Amino acid sequence: MNTIELLREGFVSALSWAHLLWAFAGVTLGTAVGVLPGIGPALTVALLLPITFNLDPTSAFIMFGGIYYGAMYGGSTTSILLNTPGETASIATAIDGYAMARQGRGAAALTTAAIGSFVAGTLATIALTFFSPLLAAVALRFGPAEYFALAVLAFTTVSALIGGSLVRGLFSLFLGLALGLIGIDQLTGDARFSFGIPQLLDGIDVLILVIGLFAVGETFYQAWQHGRDAPEVIALQKFTGMSRQDWSRSWRPWLRGTAIGFPLGVLPVGGSVIPTFLSYSIEKRLSVRPEEFGHGAIEGVAGPEAANNAAAAGVLVPLLTLGLPSSATAAVMLAAFEQYGLQPGPLLFSSRPDLVWTLIASLYIGNVMLLVLNLPLASVWARVMLVPRPLLFGGILVLASLGTYSLNASMLDVVLMFVTGVVGCVMRVQDVPLVPAVLGLVLGPLAELQFRRALAISEGHLTVFATRPLCASLLALSAAVLIAPALFKDRRV
Amino acid sequence: MARRVIAALVWALVVVWAAGAAAQPSIDELRIIAPAAPGGGWDQTARVMQQALQRAGLVRIAPVENVPGAAGTIGLARFIGAEAGRRDVVMVSGLIMLGGIVTHRSPVTLHDVTPLARLTGEYEVIAVPAASPFRTLRDLLDAFTARPESISWGGGSAGGSDQILAGLVADAVGVSPSRVNYIAFSGGGESLSAILGGQVSVGINGLAEFAPQIEAGTLRALAISSAERLPGVDVPTLREQGIAVDFENWRSLVAPPGVTAADRARLESLVGAMVASAPWREALARYRWLDRYLTGDGFSRFAAAEETRVRDVLRKFAVGKESSGAAPEPYPWLVIAGLVITGALLARQVLRSALPANNAGRAPVILLAAAAVLHLLLLERAGFVLAAAGLFWLAARAFDPRHPIRDGVFAAVVSVSSYLLFVRVLHLSLPAGVLAGWL
Repeated sequence: MNTIELLREGFVSALSWAHLLWAFAGVTLGTAVGVLPGIGPALTVALLLPITFNLDPTSAFIMFGGIYYGAMYGGSTTSILLNTPGETASIATAIDGYAMARQGRGAAALTTAAIGSFVAGTLATIALTFFSPLLAAVALRFGPAEYFALAVLAFTTVSALIGGSLVRGLFSLFLGLALGLIGIDQLTGDARFSFGIPQLLDGIDVLILVIGLFAVGETFYQAWQHGRDAPEVIALQKFTGMSRQDWSRSWRPWLRGTAIGFPLGVLPVGGSVIPTFLSYSIEKRLSVRPEEFGHGAIEGVAGPEAANNAAAAGVLVPLLTLGLPSSATAAVMLAAFEQYGLQPGPLLFSSRPDLVWTLIASLYIGNVMLLVLNLPLASVWARVMLVPRPLLFGGILVLASLGTYSLNASMLDVVLMFVTGVVGCVMRVQDVPLVPAVLGLVLGPLAELQFRRALAISEGHLTVFATRPLCASLLALSAAVLIAPALFKDRRV
Repeated sequence: MARRVIAALVWALVVVWAAGAAAQPSIDELRIIAPAAPGGGWDQTARVMQQALQRAGLVRIAPVENVPGAAGTIGLARFIGAEAGRRDVVMVSGLIMLGGIVTHRSPVTLHDVTPLARLTGEYEVIAVPAASPFRTLRDLLDAFTARPESISWGGGSAGGSDQILAGLVADAVGVSPSRVNYIAFSGGGESLSAILGGQVSVGINGLAEFAPQIEAGTLRALAISSAERLPGVDVPTLREQGIAVDFENWRSLVAPPGVTAADRARLESLVGAMVASAPWREALARYRWLDRYLTGDGFSRFAAAEETRVRDVLRKFAVGKESSGAAPEPYPWLVIAGLVITGALLARQVLRSALPANNAGRAPVILLAAAAVLHLLLLERAGFVLAAAGLFWLAARAFDPRHPIRDGVFAAVVSVSSYLLFVRVLHLSLPAGVLAGWL
């Protein structure tokens, strides 16, 4: 049987009223729990999986697809409305999404996120359906040298986010890189810069930095700057969906976000921060209005949201074809497969095609369900901005603390959150950009680790970065990204 | 539409809640701490225990808490600090924690907690990708003894079971473990993809993780760490091939320090009932875990012997490690130099310009600072609800002091409802504090 027929059979087993109900329950629960701060997709899936154990395998897998995509989707809502990303995938969304919400365009931001997630999820699921074995084979050719080159490429691409002042941008970047030094050196197991504090051994979670800088920092800044003389009243736009202009500015970022997110999701490294920020910075580079970024550019929501959903589908490629869990969420899913006596691995497609194709069909269905669920909710959620400022900021601080504490059940994390909140407020006052610090914390440790891994494997020969064709071309591409804008600028002048 | 969605959501959450409350078992609640992120072996063990205890009707609810990091030593430190003397909580532990305690120089050890039982074990497999030139373990070890550093060994985190086995094998063939070019990866998926892709010369992992690849022929298993051949697993043991090592990655269960003898006996009999239950037996088969249930003095003696072995081999790894190709020296200092230089430049610019104006006065800032400090002081002492309500109320007053009662009502509603949602519905843990009996 060919792929189309197998997929059709998957749909036949997935499409019944009872199954659609389970899909709906899955996406609803996945979204609802995914929205809560501090509960990322991995924990959401782990918490909700026991519900599926009592169902027959087909219903369970359908609900499962819904929970997975729903959990991935949930994070964007708090990111856009409250500037408090619940998981790493929606950090990039917060930058322009929250700015849009403060301009009364929250519904448009949520809508472009929902449709972008749907478009990306569907396209990526199609790619997953037809090209999985091929993509998995390519992904295996990536070793530490290639991942290092990829991190370099990410650094050069996102340098567009450094902002107007070089000194301020670089200071922020180095701050992030320095925070990234804290914790166990993965290659040797030695503690670095942890000052004898056990909670620092695992490093500083990027979510704590982001919640501190963005949510808490913004609250402190608002109090410092405007305090009690309530400056602006946010007027919700009468038209609650996306305008014609919003559509024309969104569809290209959706497609580009998908194209960036899916292949990076297939690679088992870096999680969802790199694809979302790559998408964000590419949108900024390509935009004719780069100055709007950071102040409510809809492309800055559309691109990253598409990228993170496409990456979520990409994660399933190595999981289903090779049995490789390339993220924490995938590892939880792997455990769930085992509940049904399924052994994900190279033989899964041939040993249990019925369940695999039902799962894939349910991913398509879950995507449609998410769109149906979230579009009408967008204008309801957007009303959060009508909440009086004192209650809104009080709520944000409680959510921030709740989310931070439930990440690792650590008091130190909550202390760090407030400290980075003060730092974030000072950085806002002094006009230092926040995003480079986040990127430094994510990309710095990755680049260092992969560089040293590559060197250890090659017994210390630096030539490894030049002789591996994939690695060399990625490095050449990063050089091109760095040099090209300068060349183009010369010509324009 | 929106109302119907919310109704469906509430209904679904009620179902989740009710599912946990169905049985009428002897123990109401037993918390299980997994000192690792969701998805790993400890997390799986904790969640299988949760299922087994609840389904067998031994415990009404058994919420799993993840306290990840540093091979479980962060979870261990917290377990000792926060749960001492408690009778309703256990933590998953095992060989990897022994390795983590040595590697990360943990100030607390497994001697500081109350051992309950060993539960499961998993054998480790040494394998190469199908295209590798090494056909047998002998081929590999010949190349290894000739030039140890040329063989890169891929496996899980530093100090974990995979590295310990690599060290034991090196020791057995007369090569110092300090010369093992061990490449640590952060998780099963990352190391497996490096091994499958031929990025490292040889890989070590648990049998369950490798088994599908071996069956499919993408990996060639050179040796398994069991003492004797396993039925149904066509892989020669290390001993058969002249390497006097047998080894398994065992997982165990501990109770907090300072529990009474009666409580310890009660927990031990609970674990005994759990390992005999049908759900647990089914899970063992599904995950290919070996039944290694052992309790009392037998377990204590076993744990002591393992500790000596792990400590010994990991110490040998550390000898002369500074000279390896993976030396980290330049990078951290480059970053710190960059931070200092850009910080100095920025400070100069800031000092030369006028301070930005603020028009809010001091009161909001002082109130917010007080809110944050009070919250930090109260969170684990008075509990989440009071701490969050205080934070909300003071923060709201920083922005507008005219509605103390309205703000108070909202503070109470937000903090109580988020607490109930997390603790009662999702069975996640937040500090209950002084209101423990009320909510």
